[in-house]
Amino acid sequence: MTVAGGAPTAPAAIPAEKLRIYGLGGALVGIYLAAVLNSVLDTDIFSVLAAVGAVAAAVTGANAVRRVCGYGIGTGVPSIGMLALGMGIVGASFGFSTAQQLGVSMAGVIIALVYAMVFGYIVGTIANKVLGFGIPIMEEGLTDLSGAGAMAIIGWSYAISGSLAYVDLVDKVFNTGYLAIVFICGGLAILHPFNANLGPDEKQDRTLVNGLMVGSLAVVAVGLCSLATLSAAAALITIIIGAAAWYYFYVWYYRLVKRDAAAVVGTGLLPPSAL
Amino acid sequence: MNFDALTIVYILEIIVGGLLVGVGVHFVPVGGAPAAMAQATGVGTGTVQLAAGSGLTGLLAAGLMMSVTDNIWPILASGAVGAMIMIDATMMVGGWIYAYAVGAPFASAKVNYDPITGYSQPPYVAPGTVGQGIPTVSFVSGTIGGFMGGLGGALIYYPLMMINHNPSLSALFAIGIFLVNAVLASWNIQGTIEGFHDPKFKRWTKAFRSCLVATLILALVAVTITGGA
Repeated sequence: MTVAGGAPTAPAAIPAEKLRIYGLGGALVGIYLAAVLNSVLDTDIFSVLAAVGAVAAAVTGANAVRRVCGYGIGTGVPSIGMLALGMGIVGASFGFSTAQQLGVSMAGVIIALVYAMVFGYIVGTIANKVLGFGIPIMEEGLTDLSGAGAMAIIGWSYAISGSLAYVDLVDKVFNTGYLAIVFICGGLAILHPFNANLGPDEKQDRTLVNGLMVGSLAVVAVGLCSLATLSAAAALITIIIGAAAWYYFYVWYYRLVKRDAAAVVGTGLLPPSAL
Repeated sequence: MNFDALTIVYILEIIVGGLLVGVGVHFVPVGGAPAAMAQATGVGTGTVQLAAGSGLTGLLAAGLMMSVTDNIWPILASGAVGAMIMIDATMMVGGWIYAYAVGAPFASAKVNYDPITGYSQPPYVAPGTVGQGIPTVSFVSGTIGGFMGGLGGALIYYPLMMINHNPSLSALFAIGIFLVNAVLASWNIQGTIEGFHDPKFKRWTKAFRSCLVATLILALVAVTITGGA
């Protein structure tokens, strides 16, 4: 069966290092590609690339949630997703504000990513050393998670603001309150996949495809927001690409759910003697 | 950006605010899924959600007050009272649901006597559970938690507003700091807690140290952020 692409059989587990490079690197590439293409061609229709990059970051975050929460953190999965966005929002605004004060607005994304990852590592160390979690991958997981949170917020914020300048970010994303939508939709894309799929039969591909699906919904949401801030063409492109991606990953996810679901076997009617 | 005496005061205010949030979360009675099934006292949701709910209400109240005055005291007071009202409403309606909808008695198995009324608890606790309802002490403890969370949130919001003069930026940044502290504290609690009478409450010093380190780093960064244009 070849429904909507993807491997017909369950692929081998993707290592975290690879996902980190693809996710965080992909988000960096997406955001910078969008920024460069937009400014070179003097348009805003490439903003969708940043939103797609943010989906890649969110998948890295979802994988980090999967790894950390697989050990059991005792507070439910949503808390760690909220932590990711909490760390990310601080990192994102610090990165952009510092870059603007230094006069290099393009560097904001890198500063935000580095700060977020360092802070995530520190929080992971606190969790292990002070709170006594004893989860061997806690530092690594929270580093990924914090970086993913920051990149998701930046990517989706860029899809709304269409600019890497801090002033535009504040003006179009913070002051309009659209950041709240980025916050909730981004948080869902990171925390929901493992929360929805956890259990003894949790499989990495199903969880991550669910992350792609929820991330695509976030792209639609930021596309709707950008109707008010960007040109109609740019907003429509974001909405259409988000909706198409959502449908694609929804079909893929549905197929994986059917693959992993327990078989329902018909046993026939009860024999007359049992009635 | 120059680090003058005022900036250091702002950093200290943010740190104290973060610590208030981290410790205040320990007072908020949360039972998670068992409480939702009336097998444990507390509100049937995660610590972070409840703490964030009260903290954000406090933040809204503080923001509203800050649009009228720059005086720190009424701002802190409205933040604290806003969060207390939110948590009290949740506890009261939760209690109604337990009593009139679920039909569970208010009892806790973590203590033998209610510390406030002195009533005996074990006869009312169903076997195999850790209590069913939201006893008085959880309500009082939740109110204290709401007070500390709201005060902490306002104490984070106020210096940020004084630095960047941008309400939306300050509010979202305060939410970020708030969530980091609330999650660290709830990881310390590891899920369920009934309030200050709960044995887990003794662990608050660990959360205090964790939140101190985390908020210090966040505060140093927060004071460098400008309000845009």
